[in-house]
Amino acid sequence: MERKNEFEKIKQEYRNVQMDEKEFASYEKAVKNAASKGRGAVVKISMGAAAAVFAVFLILPNISPEIAYAMEKMPILGNLVSVVTFRDYQYDSGRHMADVKVPQIVVDDTEGEKDRGTLEKTKKTAEEINREIEKISEELIQEFKENAKDQEGYQDIMIQSEVINSTEEYFTLKLICYQGAGSGAQWDYFYTMNLDTGERMALSDFFQEGADYKKAISENIKKQMKEQMAADENVAYWVDNKDIPEWNFETITDETGFYINEKGEIVIAFNEGDVAPMYMGCVEFVIETSAVEDILKK
Amino acid sequence: MKSRKRKLVEHILLLDYNKYYRMVVSCVKSREDALDIVQSGALKAIGNCASLKKEAYAGTWIYRIMMNEMYRFLDKSKESPIDEVEERGAEDVYGDIDLRQALELLPLKDKVIIELRFFEDMTFEDIAEITGEPLSTVKSRLYRSLKKLRLTLE
Repeated sequence: MERKNEFEKIKQEYRNVQMDEKEFASYEKAVKNAASKGRGAVVKISMGAAAAVFAVFLILPNISPEIAYAMEKMPILGNLVSVVTFRDYQYDSGRHMADVKVPQIVVDDTEGEKDRGTLEKTKKTAEEINREIEKISEELIQEFKENAKDQEGYQDIMIQSEVINSTEEYFTLKLICYQGAGSGAQWDYFYTMNLDTGERMALSDFFQEGADYKKAISENIKKQMKEQMAADENVAYWVDNKDIPEWNFETITDETGFYINEKGEIVIAFNEGDVAPMYMGCVEFVIETSAVEDILKK
Repeated sequence: MKSRKRKLVEHILLLDYNKYYRMVVSCVKSREDALDIVQSGALKAIGNCASLKKEAYAGTWIYRIMMNEMYRFLDKSKESPIDEVEERGAEDVYGDIDLRQALELLPLKDKVIIELRFFEDMTFEDIAEITGEPLSTVKSRLYRSLKKLRLTLE
């Protein structure tokens, strides 16, 4: 039974194949990471080809507001408000990379145009938004620093911002956060501010009082999701999903990100994994005017 | 706060990983690719754990995800999909080459069934669950393969 012995040999060889320590470490980390983050945050730790760790440390200290003010200034919005880079944190050790530019809204009535009340309101709103941005950034940076202690890991974070200036009345500051370790995840935050009154704007501010704008918007989003899925089989949203109904998108909330585009249309923005599988990325929906024109404030 | 299903899936993934790994290595022939595939499979299993219907079947459910991940990988790197490629007249040739080569010459899906049955000692029922094929098909594939390999192991 020569063949039988040969077979036993092949079976042994097969069963001897195992992950080595390094491979298992990478696998275990990925699994534990994913299991603790819950749905939507799938982080794959890549073994990578680069074994060499070139330690190039580039850590710029926190820039104080005074210095930042003098440095990078984004265009002034409404002569009163500008967005500056408040904190610039750079780190590159080869395995761990951070490129963080935390924005801050600065209020400076250089023209002396605004009345006292509006000025105060504007400053207060700016402070509130700045605090939120700082909290988010701080958390991400702290997590990064913790993970950077691990010699074997890989990660990379990025924070940057963009001003989406729609009209002379209001603008939106978009905070883009990216965290990656192999494959990555992105979160966008939107802060909309009224330049006339200095007030922070919520989605409800654009609609008539008592109108069920959330429903109108959500229904329009579901409609668009279905249309896109029907047109392209690579597009997937969590709507009408029979396998995992609890993930299906139902309605936008007070926290849902939004901004107004140049055409004055409302754009609803979702983060990765919120309403669709991660590979779809951060998705946005321009709300069709027809769906909301009846209830818009005018 | 982890759900029960997620905990279970995580637990199995950290226990049985070598089983998936060695199967995939045997099919894709590259440790690096195999690690990638098994990792992707693990993340998919965790991500979709809500769709696991019966916890008792978690083991085979995960195995199936791993196999799908592997086939997806192989499909991408070949021009034609992994199909049934019936070798013509290969039945006679098998006697003259060594067993290892003969195993490699089997259509991939048949090789997988041989390995699941004899290397992993799985029941036919479990193999049917994992491959998604009817019990009868699994058995006939197996016996056909054994004939090709000139083995009488059953």
